[in-house]
Amino acid sequence: MSAAAPLGAFEEQVLLAVVRTSAEAYGMSVRRELEEVTGRDVAIGAVYATLDRLEAKGLVASRRAELAGQSRRLFALTGAGGRALAETRAMRDRLWRGVDLAGLLSGGIP
Amino acid sequence: MDESRRSGPAAGLPRLPLALLRRLLPHAEREEVLTDLAAEHAERVGRHGVAAARAWLWMQVAGSVPALVRRSWWRGRTGFEPASSRMRPGGPGLESWIMDARYAVRRLRTRPAYALLAVVTLALGVGGTAAVWGIARGLLVAPLPYAREGELVAFWNPFDWSQAEFAHLRPDFPGFRRVAMYRTTGVILAAGDEAPRVVPAVSSSAELLEVLGTRPLVGRGFQPGDDASGAEPAAVLSYGLWRELGGDPGIVGRRLRLNGVERTVTGVMPEGFWFPDPSVRVWLTFALDPEDGSGNYALVGRLAPGRTVAGMGDALRRITASLGERFRYPEQWDKTKNASLVPLREYLVGEVRPALLATLAAMAVILLIACANVAALMLGQVDGRAAELAVRTALGAGRRRLLQQLVAEALLVGVVAGGAGAALAAGAFRLLVGALPLGALAAGAALDWTVFWAAMAIALAAALAVTVVPAASLWRGDLRGALGRQRTAGIGGRGGRVEGALVVAEVALAVMMAAGAALLVRSVAKLRAVDPGVATRGVAVLEVAMPADETPARHLQTVRELEAGLAAVPGVRAVGAAKRLPLRGGGDNWGIRVEGRPELASSTTYLRLVSPDYLRVMGVRLLAGRGFEAGDVGRAEPPVVVNRALARKYFPGLDPLGRRIAYADAWMRIVGVVDDVAEGKLTDPAAPAAYVLFGGVPYLPPAVALVLRVAPGREPAAVLEAARQRIRRVAPGAAVQQATTMTQVFAEAIGPARQLMSLLALLAGLALVLGAVGVYGVISHYVSRRGREWGIRMALGLRPARVLGHVVGRGGALVAAGAAIGVIGFLGLARLLSTFLYGVGTADPLALGAAAGGLLLVGVVAALVPARRAASTDPAVVLRET
Repeated sequence: MSAAAPLGAFEEQVLLAVVRTSAEAYGMSVRRELEEVTGRDVAIGAVYATLDRLEAKGLVASRRAELAGQSRRLFALTGAGGRALAETRAMRDRLWRGVDLAGLLSGGIP
Repeated sequence: MDESRRSGPAAGLPRLPLALLRRLLPHAEREEVLTDLAAEHAERVGRHGVAAARAWLWMQVAGSVPALVRRSWWRGRTGFEPASSRMRPGGPGLESWIMDARYAVRRLRTRPAYALLAVVTLALGVGGTAAVWGIARGLLVAPLPYAREGELVAFWNPFDWSQAEFAHLRPDFPGFRRVAMYRTTGVILAAGDEAPRVVPAVSSSAELLEVLGTRPLVGRGFQPGDDASGAEPAAVLSYGLWRELGGDPGIVGRRLRLNGVERTVTGVMPEGFWFPDPSVRVWLTFALDPEDGSGNYALVGRLAPGRTVAGMGDALRRITASLGERFRYPEQWDKTKNASLVPLREYLVGEVRPALLATLAAMAVILLIACANVAALMLGQVDGRAAELAVRTALGAGRRRLLQQLVAEALLVGVVAGGAGAALAAGAFRLLVGALPLGALAAGAALDWTVFWAAMAIALAAALAVTVVPAASLWRGDLRGALGRQRTAGIGGRGGRVEGALVVAEVALAVMMAAGAALLVRSVAKLRAVDPGVATRGVAVLEVAMPADETPARHLQTVRELEAGLAAVPGVRAVGAAKRLPLRGGGDNWGIRVEGRPELASSTTYLRLVSPDYLRVMGVRLLAGRGFEAGDVGRAEPPVVVNRALARKYFPGLDPLGRRIAYADAWMRIVGVVDDVAEGKLTDPAAPAAYVLFGGVPYLPPAVALVLRVAPGREPAAVLEAARQRIRRVAPGAAVQQATTMTQVFAEAIGPARQLMSLLALLAGLALVLGAVGVYGVISHYVSRRGREWGIRMALGLRPARVLGHVVGRGGALVAAGAAIGVIGFLGLARLLSTFLYGVGTADPLALGAAAGGLLLVGVVAALVPARRAASTDPAVVLRET
């Protein structure tokens, strides 16, 4: 739907966290996943705001469902969301192509 | 949202952050997010301890708030609602307000006529009210620039106290901390190379600034002894004059030439200080003469600690007793009889209060009319949207939600109207200050930000007030029924009673305003018709402050040279001079003695010092004897011309010609009798006055008025500039105080009624237009509601003329009811105007009739437009639609 607009860094992270938590992707589980993987404490409000924006862009879909006895807003990646992730990754790969990481780490630009 | 309240936060869970977050979450997410946060918090308590868990929770909330506020804004703006929330849409208050504001903007944009009418109407009312309030606040509410102004009082008989009386009382004013004597005057200021100019000044005893209790900004005020004879004369400058002279703090101790006398500047008053009015720019002490008995001064005092105005009775009795022992007073102005004190505020600004209050009331009425108009407009909108609102209710919208939308629309109109009103107030402020009869106080009215905030506050309050009417209609209204009505052609729709009431109120207010304006118009017309006894056309006037450092002979010569010089100005036919012009409020009372009548109680008449040509130039009618001739100047026994009132009072039934009277021990012979002239105020009864040539009594006027009769067909104002230049050449030490025309002097003599009339007439016109718009709107709405019904009835044979008559009749009935209420209301409020009226009662039938009749006419015309539309309805079209 909006393949033209590239994903922001946080959008990409949230989208990936949705994928990683797959069947149990709701606000708090996404937040926890992000915290565990990135090591940063992420505010729940920021996660919800981003999920809203992603849903408005058609990259995730939300539905209401019972999960362990609690009514939850569950998120799932849409086809467009998958394509956006793939594009974002491809773009990053293109950018990395030809960059000598070892040289960068040893300090100094060749 | 109720479940979450039931489950509540777990024990030990901080409530505040969660409550905060709760307000920012959409309904559908609240429960989930808060429960999850609580669970995670509990887990962290177990892992890291209470303090760390609490800190984490606060961090979560702090990090979430900005993101959630942004999301509310974004959701409100885009109307986004996630698929998962379909069963429980809606979000925090902020979100719905933003949505409503956006909706209101869209609605107003698609109805530009309604939006513009509402905004302009409200802005007119708001701007006017804010501007007048700004002026009134400065003059009536803001504290005077004196310390503890509640202790300050003015004495009775202002400008009638003599130096002798003050000197007698000065050692002991019982009940007062300190009392000062002052009079207003003008001094000639010669600074640098500029032409000498006249500066309004106050001449006072040394106590003045101490009584007022205001510290100078630079230097010192007056000190005891500054008014002793032989003391160095002191001058304290106003902030404004000091700035004009360069604003150098080193000015203290420097010398300034005032009235030809070198004065030492002792201090500069702070910005915003004024006394007794903001036009005064310099305060001077003068050498008090305890023997001088002429009454020119006013007294102002500061009460002793613990004293009040009401509790000064004993002190005043002691003062009057002391005066009575020392002075003998003639019956008619016995100072010991009418002793009273007036709070200084009332004394200084009391005179402008009625005009300001009347204007403020008029503006408030305009605002009310505007509100009624906008309320009727909004009501029409709500009715017009009945179907839409009904559909929304059927789909589950709460009334609260519908009301919120209404309020959002009103607030939007209010904010825009407030901004426009503030701009209007700023633009019209100076105009209004000039239009109000404020006199010298006008200089103290300043535009500031409070006017803007006032406009905003008034506009928002008005907008909210305006929503009450449509909101009530919404609350009461059977919205589901509206859907049905929509299909059944509106028959049986509500009668628009609220709208009708609004129009009646509007018309009533407009009638009140128009009646006030009509009364003032009548008063001013009557004042204009008063014969002042002098020519008011074709005479130019130049008031000239004379050089103060001249010998008496030189002084008289200067007057003669000025006359001769001005007579040579092109376009000028004849020139006269006088110490004081008529129509300027009187003054110059001199004790008169009549030969052979020593038994006459001591009394005074006006004494007018004039040049030989003055009476002729001014067109004063000669009744008997002769006027002055050039040969009269310097005669051993000076001739005197008296007016009819003097002849009647002192020579009843006798021929005054050839008899002798004396002023200031100078005996003179009556050579002529002239008609009475409005010596004081335009409406004063004729007062005895005598005309004496300059030099006839031993007194040198500090200023003279030169009157120039211009050639027929010439504008007197056109010669003023040439006359000014001539004066500068002929008498370089003199300064022109004012250059004007007798027409203008006469207009000013008509007084505040004239200015207030223009203003009220303008406002009444505005009220009339707004009232007409209101009638038009309501009748239009009525017609559109009943249109189908009439269409059907016309198809069945109802004549269009009957429809026309019915609609106009309805409009007429509303206006008639409003007019009747307005007249009754006006009679209750007319007191506000009574001080400005002359020759008409507040219940003047002509003015009231004109106001009511005028509105009736306008109302019927306004109703005629929609009525014609109704009468020309094509039944076929209506039937097809149905």
